[in-house]
Amino acid sequence: MNSGQLFLILGSLAAATASFVWMALRTTVTPVKEADILQDSEHDVEHIFNNEFRELLRNRGRLLFEKIISENAMFLQQDLRLTTSQLNEYMKDEITKKLQEEFIKYEQSIADAKNLAVDSITKTQKIMEEQRQQMSQKLTEEITKEKARLLKNFEENMADIVNHYVLAAVGDQIDLNDQLEYILSDLETNKQAIIKDITDGA
Amino acid sequence: MAPKDKKMVLPLSVMGRQDVGRLLREVETLNEFLRQSAIRQSDNTVKMPTTSRFMDEIVQINELNPLMEVDRKTLIDFLTTIRTKAPVLHMSFNADPSPLFSQKLMTWLRKEIHPQVLLQTGLQPNIGAGCVVRTDSKYFDFSMRHHFTEKRSVLIQKIKGEK
Repeated sequence: MNSGQLFLILGSLAAATASFVWMALRTTVTPVKEADILQDSEHDVEHIFNNEFRELLRNRGRLLFEKIISENAMFLQQDLRLTTSQLNEYMKDEITKKLQEEFIKYEQSIADAKNLAVDSITKTQKIMEEQRQQMSQKLTEEITKEKARLLKNFEENMADIVNHYVLAAVGDQIDLNDQLEYILSDLETNKQAIIKDITDGA
Repeated sequence: MAPKDKKMVLPLSVMGRQDVGRLLREVETLNEFLRQSAIRQSDNTVKMPTTSRFMDEIVQINELNPLMEVDRKTLIDFLTTIRTKAPVLHMSFNADPSPLFSQKLMTWLRKEIHPQVLLQTGLQPNIGAGCVVRTDSKYFDFSMRHHFTEKRSVLIQKIKGEK
């Protein structure tokens, strides 16, 4: 510890002692009258809270109020932003949820409609296939019948067809005199039947 | 005069019932003419009616004398019997038969079927060849068409390629 510091400590102790003595002297002074005290107080009040001080306080209060207002506004704005953000988030979630539900319902409806359409198409295809098979079978039967009918007609009328062809081809070249032997041969073959018929008829 | 035991013969040229009817009318006309001539005065000149080829043939074949009433009556009776009772065959051909064909056919028929059979011919061009014979109750088809019909199975076998 140097001397400077020591000097400062001693000086502080001396000042404290002097203050203590002064205060003890003051308290031992004769009592002041209460009216004087009130008067002095008013005077001090008027002296302390003068217009300038009041204006100063008013300005400070205004500034403080503005500050508080500003801070509250800022807080309010932050809250508002937060609320808006939460509200947006909530709305977003709700809308997304709602949309997803609606999409699920929509997809389900589409799937049901698709299944219904597929079932309908499948049934229609099945019916068409059955009808096609029936028509094919019927057509085959009709063709078979028609073929059999044509064949039967052809076989039944074949003699006429060949006869017609022979007539058209060599009909005018067949002389009746050339057929006499053939005719007499046929008559000879059936002679007994003819004679019997003639005899019975007569 | 014709012998009593000889059977009357119908000429081959007399084929159908119409020919017999025509011949019968001719004989009756001649008979009537000669009967009237016998009643008539003999100084009048009369012209004899001309006789047909059928008349000449039947008189010649059966050795008849048309001037004799008995022969004429015999001929009339014979022709009447033939027209009413002789069997008739209907034969149809694809063309009109020639006289030679008809004569050959009648020769066979009179010889093999019945000596007094009559024939009525018809025309059926669609039979092709051969003939169709019809009696009073039967029908005989000797045509080429019928022959093809009978042999239809053979034709079908040939078409199907079967042996």
